[in-house]
Amino acid sequence: MVYKLEKEKTGSTPYIMIDEEKGYMRFEGESFHENVIEFYRDVSNWLEEYLKTDFTEFTFDCELKYFNSSTAKLLLNMLLEMDENAGDGKNIMVNWITTEDNDIIVECGEDFQEEMNNLKFSLVIN
Amino acid sequence: MILDMLSYYKMIKKNNINIIYSGPIWSDGIEGIGGTLRKRLEFDDMPLSASQSVFSVFVEQMNNILMYSADKEPFPSSDDRIFDVSKGVFILGSRDRTYFIQSGNVMRDESVEMMKNRIEHLNTLDKSELRKYYKEQIKSENANPESKGAGLGLIEIARRASSKIDYTFTPLEDGLTFFSMYVTIG
Repeated sequence: MVYKLEKEKTGSTPYIMIDEEKGYMRFEGESFHENVIEFYRDVSNWLEEYLKTDFTEFTFDCELKYFNSSTAKLLLNMLLEMDENAGDGKNIMVNWITTEDNDIIVECGEDFQEEMNNLKFSLVIN
Repeated sequence: MILDMLSYYKMIKKNNINIIYSGPIWSDGIEGIGGTLRKRLEFDDMPLSASQSVFSVFVEQMNNILMYSADKEPFPSSDDRIFDVSKGVFILGSRDRTYFIQSGNVMRDESVEMMKNRIEHLNTLDKSELRKYYKEQIKSENANPESKGAGLGLIEIARRASSKIDYTFTPLEDGLTFFSMYVTIG
């Protein structure tokens, strides 16, 4: 059974989409819910298991306009986990999508990019 | 008791205050006040970086209150359970396109020293040092999953502020202290 998940966005949580068959995950919107760990629990649980499987390509489009520091911590955690599992035939692409005037998100993308060694992290500035 | 609204109104006006919130702080509440705050920032037509900074300081201050407020109140959740929410106060004001953001809450005496030291340390760092420190801290907290990330929120506030973080600790009774923090943006 391939995993599929779609969560509509709310005032403090983003739109989330996971399509395991296509090796694709997308976050879009804002993330500043008080309890982000709980909110992302099913996503992080799935990701942890998925990264151990024999996939060849996985793409993560991250198009968040704003997120709080607890989300930043959780995102970096996910990215580091992806990075650890990338390589050896597993291609992982992360697109950090934002706009030029969104300084906070651009800076954060640059900082996260520096931490990545194996996956392909692209800053997509529109 | 009928409060003298006119004197409140005059005081708010005189101090250039745009928004005051005092009461329970919980997730939907942060969303609600945050929405009002966003509307206000849109109305002022500030560049995205300034309005994002104000919003970010607001969110992290709210999280700080959630984490440290020693003043709690029972509150019904959406699934009909009763849980304790933290109470605090938040003020946004502006003068000449500079915002000031102030928050306050009651906290336990034992957390005062730690909070004060953290702020004092942040106030010695410039913007690029804060960026570096944030990155170090986010990595070390990731290595320690038990941490609730309180340090990170304060660093975020320091990064977005145009000023140093100003603060007061006023001792109350019963092992409690009133903590207030003040920053400007713009």
